[in-house]
Amino acid sequence: MKKSIILLASIMLFNPVSAQLTDADQILNKSRELSIISSFQATIRLTITEKTGASRNRTISMTSKSFPGGVEKRMIKFLEPADVRGTAMLIVDNKSTSDEIWIFMPALKKTRRISSSETGKSFMSSEFSNADMGSPNISDFNNKHLEGSGTNNVWIIESIPVNDDKADEYGYSRRISYISMDKHQVLKMEFFNYDNQHFKTIEIKGFHSLAEGKYMVSNMVATNLITNRKSEILFSNISEKVQVADSWFTVQNLER
Amino acid sequence: MINFISKYRWFIIVACLVTGISLGLLIPFSETDPDIRNYIPEKMPSRIETNKIEQEFGVQDIVMLLISDSTILTEDNLQKIRDIDREVSKLTGVTDRISPFTVRTIKSTDDMMVADPLIRRIPTDKEGLDELKENILNNRFARDIVVSSDMTTASITATINTLETESSTLHKIDSIVSVYGGDSKILKGGLPYIRQYITEDVRKDALILVPVALLLMLLILKISLGNWKSVAVPFSVVVLAVAISMGLIPLFGWKLSMIIILVPIILIAVANNYGIYLVARYQELGQKNKTNSKTGIISELLGSLRMPILFSGLTTIAGILGLLTHSIIPARHVGVLASIGVSAALLMSLFYIPSLLLVQKNIRMEEKTNKRRTDGIYKILDRVSGVIIKYPRRILISVVVITAAVTAGMMLLKIETNQENYFSKKSPVAMASELINNKFGGSQTISVMISGDIKDPEVMKGIDNLTREIEKAEGVGQVFSISQAVREMSKAIYTDAEDGYDKIPDTRESIAQMFELYNMSGDPDDFSQMMNLDNTKAHVLIRLSDPENRIIKNVKSQIERLTESIPAEITIGGYAIIMTDFAASIIKGQASSLIFALVTVFILLSIIFRSAQGGIIGSVPLAVSILIMFGFMGYVGIALDAATALLSSIMIGVGVDFTIQYIWCFNSQIRKGLSYEESTKSSFAIIGRSIIINAFTVMTGFSPLIISGFRSIRFFGYLTIISIGSCLIGALIIVPAIIVLFRPAFVTNELTTKQIRIK
Repeated sequence: MKKSIILLASIMLFNPVSAQLTDADQILNKSRELSIISSFQATIRLTITEKTGASRNRTISMTSKSFPGGVEKRMIKFLEPADVRGTAMLIVDNKSTSDEIWIFMPALKKTRRISSSETGKSFMSSEFSNADMGSPNISDFNNKHLEGSGTNNVWIIESIPVNDDKADEYGYSRRISYISMDKHQVLKMEFFNYDNQHFKTIEIKGFHSLAEGKYMVSNMVATNLITNRKSEILFSNISEKVQVADSWFTVQNLER
Repeated sequence: MINFISKYRWFIIVACLVTGISLGLLIPFSETDPDIRNYIPEKMPSRIETNKIEQEFGVQDIVMLLISDSTILTEDNLQKIRDIDREVSKLTGVTDRISPFTVRTIKSTDDMMVADPLIRRIPTDKEGLDELKENILNNRFARDIVVSSDMTTASITATINTLETESSTLHKIDSIVSVYGGDSKILKGGLPYIRQYITEDVRKDALILVPVALLLMLLILKISLGNWKSVAVPFSVVVLAVAISMGLIPLFGWKLSMIIILVPIILIAVANNYGIYLVARYQELGQKNKTNSKTGIISELLGSLRMPILFSGLTTIAGILGLLTHSIIPARHVGVLASIGVSAALLMSLFYIPSLLLVQKNIRMEEKTNKRRTDGIYKILDRVSGVIIKYPRRILISVVVITAAVTAGMMLLKIETNQENYFSKKSPVAMASELINNKFGGSQTISVMISGDIKDPEVMKGIDNLTREIEKAEGVGQVFSISQAVREMSKAIYTDAEDGYDKIPDTRESIAQMFELYNMSGDPDDFSQMMNLDNTKAHVLIRLSDPENRIIKNVKSQIERLTESIPAEITIGGYAIIMTDFAASIIKGQASSLIFALVTVFILLSIIFRSAQGGIIGSVPLAVSILIMFGFMGYVGIALDAATALLSSIMIGVGVDFTIQYIWCFNSQIRKGLSYEESTKSSFAIIGRSIIINAFTVMTGFSPLIISGFRSIRFFGYLTIISIGSCLIGALIIVPAIIVLFRPAFVTNELTTKQIRIK
């Protein structure tokens, strides 16, 4: 018993990761808090590029607002290409239940709700998943520091889904996040599939700084290392704390 | 010549051994190419078109795992299928899968378009299982695609990619099946598996057939030549010729294919003949001229046999070279390798064997104890020659009638390009293919790529029309296209009372917005096999339940007709289309190699007999044998395929020898002053037995092919025996009857100053 205590003490003493680093959950929580904004409006350009060089572009305008209970609502209007102009989407990002998505198609004069229980599914056919567009629930993962974390101004944190169902939901078995130590901004994320093969990387190429140390990602690139397909999201015309009435985020408003 | 050989005998022996051994050492480095696609030149339209489609939509080679039970819808079975599917999905070498757990149901409920998995949770009670059965039967993307309508078989279809080697991916799938499959009946099918079986069987064939053929040849040589020392001489020629030709495969950068295995067999069957003649004659001369020196005996030996062996070798090479005009690539390889092997055997017979005989201690001729047996053969030959002399007209009329009757069978001749039929019905791969074709719409595919503005309603309606019409065509199992997804989406957007329900929308915007709707809920890869990212190319995949050549051709012409009005560029390709090109290649190759071989042999015969008439008469037995062979194939249902297409060239090359030997001998007899009748009798007595032994030696050489793992190679074996048999009959019945009846002038020409006597 005595030996065990000495052994444990010596491990704590000589293991810098467990002894000196801030708790991984705390870092992720802080980072998450800094990225949550009450409301914003922006123009977003999504470019998906195949390995052959062929690409597809979408330009949308997005208005987002946080509601009590951790609910976030986003209204998306398609600007380009011309054949989908006027298409509108309403996304209700519920914290604990499935998201709700409605889409209005002007050419068909129809509004339809979409089932989207799987957050691991692709966002608008891009390499980004729906989960990548929001902030994952920290308790859905076991988080820990990896070797090298805390050096060069970067935390390196590994997140493993707490169970297979969560892994299925998010669409990966392991994620490694690189977070800046000074600003708590996520710089890069690496995703691993069920074969523990590194299949996707998201690199944050630009940030839009907001008040109180908060920030918004303004440019990010997701690369699928298996298909060599790339998707880039570029935010522009960002306006923070826009005054939008709650009634703006309704299905009826989609068709206007 | 004897002086040259005598002077350089050791150099000749060492050079032959070094060449043979060094090339032979390269044989283990040969790789196998089981893909029939590579049999066709890359410039062929079907390959070019298929490459275009595959560049856009990836290789369409699918592996199918078929899990069968009296009822597949049980909790246990579904669990097994999910485990296997999940494990297969993790493989790097697998691009995507279609399984009961990947199929989605697009439906509309409460204003909501749902693209949900067919099975979200495995049902555990009867009600749940019944509901699942109902859902499968009502889902066009599930019924007979992932579960058979009779609910006895489920399938997991995996499209494999080139990120990992095919063999490694298949090996991993095998491991998954053995770990998670338990005691279930699971069959594995699809072209990658067919290729794997072919690779294994090619190796197995090489390891079994070649040693068996060599053993048989040793036996024949022992019977013909008596002592082992004599046997070693021609046998070493065979082994060296095989080593030289097979060693060239890796040296040329070629690969082993199913039909290249014929090269060593051809060489074993053919290359020893010259050696047998030489050694047997050497023994005879040694017996007769015991006082003569060894150099003197060999000089006499070469003087009497050099020309017939040279002519025999040249005609064989000419026939085999006919394969060079073949459009099937491995057929050309067989032509090059076999002709190099026969050339090597010919040169070695003329230089290496005499050198070996010079350095060997005296080979003693075994006392013949089988006099009674050979007497029997001579009596039969004597009777046969008597009948020919007496009834030449009747014999020829009978030959014409029989040939005409058998030739009629050519009308029934089929062309076989379906690799599934290479295997016997009871092999696992054939059973899997049958199940796939009967219950899951087949694994062989035709791809149609439509390049243009896919969201244009005219284009989309054209794709829809093609999809719906081609589904009804004979031999078509399943069709997959983007228009089906559009129709399903229209059903989820409109109610059946509305006009847009189950229709292709009339505006480009409507179609674009439908895709956008799906993009929000589905997986981007859901459509990746049907349409490219920027919607400029669509892919219609047609699976064939009966991939027969006639059906493929018919489906292709229907596609051409149905796509005429689509305002876009149409590319038709896929494995099945390559196969129709392959079939056309077989016919074209068969015709060109046949004409080349016949013309070359005719020219050679005309030179040998110094008469065009001689060339024609000498070619008659070959023509008759070819007609009989094709007619026979038609009657018994043996199809022309990659292997049997080589038959005629090889037969011409080998079968012509008997005619040359007979006419040459007849010429020597008639020039002695004998009458036509007397010359016929005496030629039968002198050369008849040798020709028969020669023919049976060749037939024995080819006979191991009948135990090959491939059906078509087995047929090749049977057909060679039959065609060599008919060449034998041609040389010993048709040619003598023609000569007796028509008394052509060329048979009295002076052919050579040396009198031919073989054995």
